[in-house]
Amino acid sequence: MRRLTAVISAIGFATYKEWAAFRSHMAASLLVGPVMFLVQVFIWKAIYEGHDTLNGLTYQQMLTYYGVASLIHYISFDFADWNLQMLVRSGKFVTFALRPLPHWLFALAQKIGHRSLALWVEVLPVLLLFIFVFGVNLQPAAPGWALLSILFSFLMNFMVNYCVGLTAFWLIRAEGIRRVFLLLKDICAGVFIPLSFFPEVLQKILFFLPFQFITYLPTRVYGGEYELAGIHLSLAQAVGLQAVAVAVTALAMALLYNAAMRRFTGVGV
Amino acid sequence: MRESLLAAVLRTKFAEQMAYRSHFIISVIMLIIGDLVVPLITLLVYKSGASFPGWTMHEALLIQAVFALSKGVAFPFFFGMVGTTLGHVREGTFDLLLLRPRPVMLMAMITGFDPDDFGRLFSGAVLFVYALSGMSMPGGGAWLQFGLLFLASVTMLCAVSLFLSGMLFRWVGSSRVFDIFDAFTSFGMYPGTIFSKSLQNILTYVLPIGLIAFVPAEALLGRSGWAGLWAVLPAAGFLLLGMVYWNRMLRGYTSAGG
Repeated sequence: MRRLTAVISAIGFATYKEWAAFRSHMAASLLVGPVMFLVQVFIWKAIYEGHDTLNGLTYQQMLTYYGVASLIHYISFDFADWNLQMLVRSGKFVTFALRPLPHWLFALAQKIGHRSLALWVEVLPVLLLFIFVFGVNLQPAAPGWALLSILFSFLMNFMVNYCVGLTAFWLIRAEGIRRVFLLLKDICAGVFIPLSFFPEVLQKILFFLPFQFITYLPTRVYGGEYELAGIHLSLAQAVGLQAVAVAVTALAMALLYNAAMRRFTGVGV
Repeated sequence: MRESLLAAVLRTKFAEQMAYRSHFIISVIMLIIGDLVVPLITLLVYKSGASFPGWTMHEALLIQAVFALSKGVAFPFFFGMVGTTLGHVREGTFDLLLLRPRPVMLMAMITGFDPDDFGRLFSGAVLFVYALSGMSMPGGGAWLQFGLLFLASVTMLCAVSLFLSGMLFRWVGSSRVFDIFDAFTSFGMYPGTIFSKSLQNILTYVLPIGLIAFVPAEALLGRSGWAGLWAVLPAAGFLLLGMVYWNRMLRGYTSAGG
């Protein structure tokens, strides 16, 4: 266990240093995030004219939703799918197949390193801008549950994306499918609009899909209340449900990973 | 001569895409779905009983349809140069474009031609017809104004692609320029009247994002009149500025020699 922790730390630290050389790439979020948020402020200010609440959310709650969703997006941002597909397509995956460490663990360690850098380059500055420039209330209702929920969101986003990346073992060029899937994932996760705005039937379907656990559920847990498809859950229940979903997705990823490894062929492997 | 060059590039690009037909089809579908996300949000907002004050759902969708249509024209022909510059400068292969006996800007634009992006034209057309079906048909004058302003809209996107592409000669390999584009142009996908007066002025005179969709849509709805055609001028000015900027940035391109 200690050795595994050391390996993960080493990979994470190497990734951190590698990306620190390209920190302006991440720092672009300091412009993109607030600009996107400013658009949302104007949109919802206009929409809320003459309305106190819309689908159970007040104007302030809506701004908090978008603020928290943006921050969760920065924390759990992932491109494991792109990376894996590139490795498979270019044949470089063979170097990972020879290592005494499953690739998914390597990719997770990379993500930890990458996002650790993002914490101070992207998350913290954007958080401060949201609070002090836009005056958004970003104080979590229950910090412990919020932190746990964001941690699960981090893992869930990684596992879903990694599963998409694994399709490269079966498809010659899966870039199109990857992009379609990721877009649908964002829609179903509530990145663009809270899921409570969707029709009742769709909400019921979305409740059982894994995507809400990436953005919608952690954002609502952060705000202190969870409701979807008429189902109200306490924070403990919501995070518990998220934990179960993460465990099920982890199992699915492991099965898919093993099937992919059986299918993989490379020179000398 | 240039026409045959364009035809040759189009043929090659389509042939390239046909080597991965399923990928091409999926990419087109993806772009269609992608362009329908914002209209979907608008639809959900209106279905929940709310609205953009002073705008019916079909009118608001018309702005987003014009935006998609404009992208459907500008992206296949001009916007590919952003990706081309990004890739070539990072790889150090931009020199290949400099060696060709054609203007570099034209070569960067033409090699970036992307047939996938025609999918945007389809989603824009579908949305446009849907939006028009919910309102009274505009008259001939409105269509004429719209046509001219639509040209200005495409010109504007062409200018933006020049700025983004030019930026990449210095900001090597940063794919975040696409995020910057999405962030700033998102102002243009909604009725300009929802923004504060000062921001409306910025979006009209300083950074004419409103010109991409809001101004042409307003003309089609008969809300702006002939005076609205002044907007063609900032678009032309912006394009000229973009060309100057791109060429200045190109001069700063050092290749592998430093």
